[in-house]
Amino acid sequence: MTKPWFNALLLLLPSWALAHDPIFGLGPHVLYKGGVELAAEWHGEPDSNESGLEITYGMTGDWALGAEIPLDGGDAGDSDLFSKYRFWRSDSLGVQKSAAWLLRYDGDRRTPAWVHGLAWGYESRRYYGWASIRYRLPQENGQDLKPGDAWRLDLVTGIRPWLTDYLEPDTVFMLELNGEGSQRARLEGTTLARSGGRRWFLSPGIFWTLRNFAIKAGVQIPLSQRMNDPSLELDYRARLTLEWHY
Amino acid sequence: MKPLHSILTALFLLAATSILQAEDTLRWELRVDGLACPYCAYGVEKKLKAIDGVRQVSVDLEKGIVHVEALPQTEITASRMETLMRDAGFTFRSMKQLP
Repeated sequence: MTKPWFNALLLLLPSWALAHDPIFGLGPHVLYKGGVELAAEWHGEPDSNESGLEITYGMTGDWALGAEIPLDGGDAGDSDLFSKYRFWRSDSLGVQKSAAWLLRYDGDRRTPAWVHGLAWGYESRRYYGWASIRYRLPQENGQDLKPGDAWRLDLVTGIRPWLTDYLEPDTVFMLELNGEGSQRARLEGTTLARSGGRRWFLSPGIFWTLRNFAIKAGVQIPLSQRMNDPSLELDYRARLTLEWHY
Repeated sequence: MKPLHSILTALFLLAATSILQAEDTLRWELRVDGLACPYCAYGVEKKLKAIDGVRQVSVDLEKGIVHVEALPQTEITASRMETLMRDAGFTFRSMKQLP
């Protein structure tokens, strides 16, 4: 059964994760001043997948700007623009705690939207912890269909089992609890009963790096799904990201 | 015999130059907080290596120490390191020149 596009896309809030940020959730990481980060991302579900390229620039040590360009099923007009500002940071020996505010314009022509996000993170040599919330506000798109507002909530923990030196390969394992939901869509002023809903996932993942190159991979396993259209229920979601900064 | 003499002279000059160059650099030790992962610490290396005269940078994540080797005329000051570490996303605490 084919999913209505507005339903299938509703809950796919882009992750825009930098560096040691979670794979599906958000973290407060930004990029060093003058740094450039390139990322190729693949995102898959049982009957669909999408990929994109992301470029990020470090405006300051606490503020990064970027864009994401879809590689399939879209064109440059569907690109996203984003800003992430780390407004709080507390450093001690081998530990960084920080918080950041995110603003993203999701340029998808069918469902343009603003996404606001807030992320907190704890990062140490051994353990990681993150919490984040995002809210997606769809914009008027000149069509009669208006998707509902959507939210995401993420709680994540991580561990680095082997403490390696600076130039050695580094591995961090993550476990995420991801919740997401959306209100029903409206068509010509009428609420669509078979749209919107809520889902929760448990998501194991891995973050592997070598100096300035990273591979991130994870899979979302549904814990609970209460979708108003049962055909939207998922068996899994997966994400793979290759990242390089210089 | 003459070619051997020339080779030995060249090797001697090469070794002497290397020794002089090694002695010609100063070493610094920076205490930096927030260094939790190698991937993120790359920004520190990149920022330091962008300074003219910096020859070598190494990071000890466990101790929160950044080692810098630079030519004597290189401006390695506390205020410059503070700005540089802030731009890299970390907190500069202190520095000392190694003997």
